[in-house]
Amino acid sequence: MSTHTTETETDDPQAERMARKEARADEREEASATPGADVGEDAVTLKVFRYDPEVEEKRHPRFDTFHVPREPGITVLDALIYARDTYDSTLTFRHSCRQAVCGSDALFINGRQRLGCQTQIADLDDPDVVRVEPLPHREVVKDLVVDMEHFYDQMDAVEPYFSPAEAPDGEQLQSRENREKIKMSTRCIWCGACMSSCNVAAGDNQYLGPAAINEAYRFYFDEREGAERQRERLEIIEQEHGVWRCQTQFSCTTVCPKDIPLTEHIQELKREAVKQNLKFW
Amino acid sequence: MSQSYDRGLVEDFGRWREFSAGMWAWLFHKFTGWVLIGYLFTHIAVLSSALNGAATYNSTLHGLEGLLVVRILEVGLLAVAVFHILNGVRLLFVDLGVGIGLETQEKSFYASLILTGLIVVASVPVFLEGGL
Amino acid sequence: MAERYSSFRAGSTRWFLQRITAAFLVVTLAFHFYLVHFLHPAPQITFGGSAGRFSVPSYFVTMVLFLGAATFHGVNGVYNALVNQGVEGTPLRAAKWVLAVAGVLLFVQGVRVALALAGGA
Repeated sequence: MSTHTTETETDDPQAERMARKEARADEREEASATPGADVGEDAVTLKVFRYDPEVEEKRHPRFDTFHVPREPGITVLDALIYARDTYDSTLTFRHSCRQAVCGSDALFINGRQRLGCQTQIADLDDPDVVRVEPLPHREVVKDLVVDMEHFYDQMDAVEPYFSPAEAPDGEQLQSRENREKIKMSTRCIWCGACMSSCNVAAGDNQYLGPAAINEAYRFYFDEREGAERQRERLEIIEQEHGVWRCQTQFSCTTVCPKDIPLTEHIQELKREAVKQNLKFW
Repeated sequence: MSQSYDRGLVEDFGRWREFSAGMWAWLFHKFTGWVLIGYLFTHIAVLSSALNGAATYNSTLHGLEGLLVVRILEVGLLAVAVFHILNGVRLLFVDLGVGIGLETQEKSFYASLILTGLIVVASVPVFLEGGL
Repeated sequence: MAERYSSFRAGSTRWFLQRITAAFLVVTLAFHFYLVHFLHPAPQITFGGSAGRFSVPSYFVTMVLFLGAATFHGVNGVYNALVNQGVEGTPLRAAKWVLAVAGVLLFVQGVRVALALAGGA
């Protein structure tokens, strides 16, 4: 079915992830072929961060443990929903599409930012104990729900909407090459995992963050907006707390659930800014 | 009702085992950077003895170099400088858009660490001997 | 949108210069280490020896450039570390001036030392 080649290092995060995913799917198929492998008995231990300022016992954060039956293909989101529906209906977390397109359920799972719906428990390093916490560097409202306002503020700061200077007469076409160039940057689902993983964003509150800069990238390099809009967009992101704060830590690229090469995009914008400013004549 | 809870930095140093390679690189580069700029000021201060004539310069330098602790610190300085240079070269490549894949940049960080170790170990004899 | 009356974009210039000085320093620092720890081990350095090197114009110029690059790179690095850490407003401005002055003093003192060594040959 799938042959996992390792020689040609493509440096393409999506291709690498898909290759790993296929390998894991094969493993799971084999494992589930053995009878009685995962029915009931060996439950998943789910440790969930709890906090509720309105409830006496939960004013100070604590971890609650739930035992969830291990079904084939169970995701962290499935486990959380089971825990909420079966054991504790006050367990609170955001979720919606359960197919990694809405960006609601970004969580800190076993020490790393992931989407709950996209994370197969069987794929975790420790599939027996799953520790779920809210996103780091965000204030917790209740249980696993964090305050995303700051994230949205930073996104809004880069004017994340298509806004050409003039309306075209007739169709506004985009070349295939141009679409390819910005293709990966259009995949952002505003989940906030990247910003939460960035240590610079944690230290410097004014830093726009990888998601916002990636949005800027998506529009900056869209040929349909025109040179003037391009210049205006560059002005926004080349301010002190824009692209220059990135220290190429790569955490954002590592955790992005949509495999967007965030650091690479930020680097390209840095180079753009330098190029544009060197042209002082 | 925004009585939200600020957990502070989740990645406090107690959770160092969860740090990614990129985080370590950033931390080490910062740390070695501070050491080097601190050393630069000290270095110029020491060399300023030259302004007071040859004899002062010679006695200051020889006096310092005669102390074993100074020689050991010099090995530390070498480690710090070599790491900062090697990781810095790695960062320069990243800035040029080369080696920007996740696997590559992790490997290049480990390579700079290992290379730093090798160079330091190889240099220890030269440092501790040279002229004692 | 803040109007910029000067075309001087501080952000990109400092970032760019940090990289330029970095590339220059990789070579000069490595060379410097080699010179004073392997070729002429530090314990054996004398005023006379140093003066001999500093009286060669190309060496003198290289060392001054080396000092300038290192000072800029280091001071700029510290400033960036502070901004990344979230220092802002008045404390940041104060730090900026302290760093700038310290950097200038460092460079001036270094050049004085270089001149003293060059003049002593």
